[in-house]
Amino acid sequence: MAIRHGLLALLDEGPAYGYQLKAAFEERTGGTWPLNIGQVYTTLARAERDGLVAQLDVAADGRVVYEITDAGRHEVARWFASPVRRDAPARDELTIKLAVAVTAPGVDVKALVQTQRSETMRTLQALTRLKIDAADRPDPESDTAWHLVLERLIFDAEAEARWLDHVEARLLRAAASTTSDRTPAPDGTDRANQGSAR
Amino acid sequence: MTAPVLELDDVTRIHGSGATAVHALRGVSLTVAAGELVAVMGPSGSGKSTLLNVAGGLDTVSAGAVRVEGTDLASLSRAALAAVRRRSAGYVFQDLNLIPTLTAVENVALPLELDGRRRVRSYALAALEEVGVADLADRYPDEMSGGQQQRVAIARALVGERRLVLADEPTGALDSETGEAVLALLRRRVDQGCAGVLVTHESRHAAWADRVVYLRDGCIVDSTAYDVSPGSLETVR
Repeated sequence: MAIRHGLLALLDEGPAYGYQLKAAFEERTGGTWPLNIGQVYTTLARAERDGLVAQLDVAADGRVVYEITDAGRHEVARWFASPVRRDAPARDELTIKLAVAVTAPGVDVKALVQTQRSETMRTLQALTRLKIDAADRPDPESDTAWHLVLERLIFDAEAEARWLDHVEARLLRAAASTTSDRTPAPDGTDRANQGSAR
Repeated sequence: MTAPVLELDDVTRIHGSGATAVHALRGVSLTVAAGELVAVMGPSGSGKSTLLNVAGGLDTVSAGAVRVEGTDLASLSRAALAAVRRRSAGYVFQDLNLIPTLTAVENVALPLELDGRRRVRSYALAALEEVGVADLADRYPDEMSGGQQQRVAIARALVGERRLVLADEPTGALDSETGEAVLALLRRRVDQGCAGVLVTHESRHAAWADRVVYLRDGCIVDSTAYDVSPGSLETVR
């Protein structure tokens, strides 16, 4: 629905043809979610079927100029006024992988967590670099939308890194209590280290 | 390829001895070149602060070598080591440890003055100018905000020709926006040719570094480098 509503909101600013909408959508979101042109036309065709947009004009080269209808305007207003609902958690490969890994025999979960942490950090580094570059641009005000998109992605990556720290801490705690249940630590040093690492 | 500003070569640091010995660092190797900012991450007790302390000559190694601009710190007399600390390496700490009875410019000038340099005030003023707080030169620490104090601390860490800045949670006492400004400043100084080591537990702060090193129980377990932007992000911008 994000693409449909995003395109509708752009059309609310004035008539446009498909390629213009694709370019405007990508410009506004910093190219984070590139659209393919077929997707744009399919979305527009469905919106037309639902009475949200109408064909205003067909250029000589066959390009169709779309405009928003009253129903479409109403839909855009409704979209901006309603919260985004997150009913079912999105299927997340990392969460699934870890959930399976903690009970699967023979998986080095600690290594898995660290491998992921480095990867997440690489993403965070790349995003931060983009943010620094954006701040160096002459007119940062005009890039507000791009900044906000970047910061959202930074918060997401940071949350993932925190969650990985949490997973590691929890697993260490669990391992420590299992060890102490089974055998007394030989000299106390290792467990003392683990304790102080918390 | 110029020589690295900081080199830790298979460094081990053991506190205490016998049964109670604690291995704070176990065979850590790390090089930091000019223009490079390296972040060190790890839980408390993983050896982050010890790493920073041996890098700056505040602590000695049990085995291995620490070289700052090619000089093995273990080869130096106490006086020569103190000189390295004044001339080559600068510190920024979490707790903004400026000297309360000295003004901003006097705080920044202090390492130069201890080094017997002349006309230190003009150097100190230039350093304050570079971090954007020249107008606060005559204020005392308690007349400045946390962010302003941290800028002064960075100026002090980098005054003179020092090329290595060692920062221990420099944003810890600051709100997130001010913290970000301090990181931007550190980043800029490194881009201008310093070498930097940043100890932090915040991923978003570590992400300002060129490389992130993970410490666990005194060992480097992993390290990342800035390489590619994620997918489509770089194509448009």
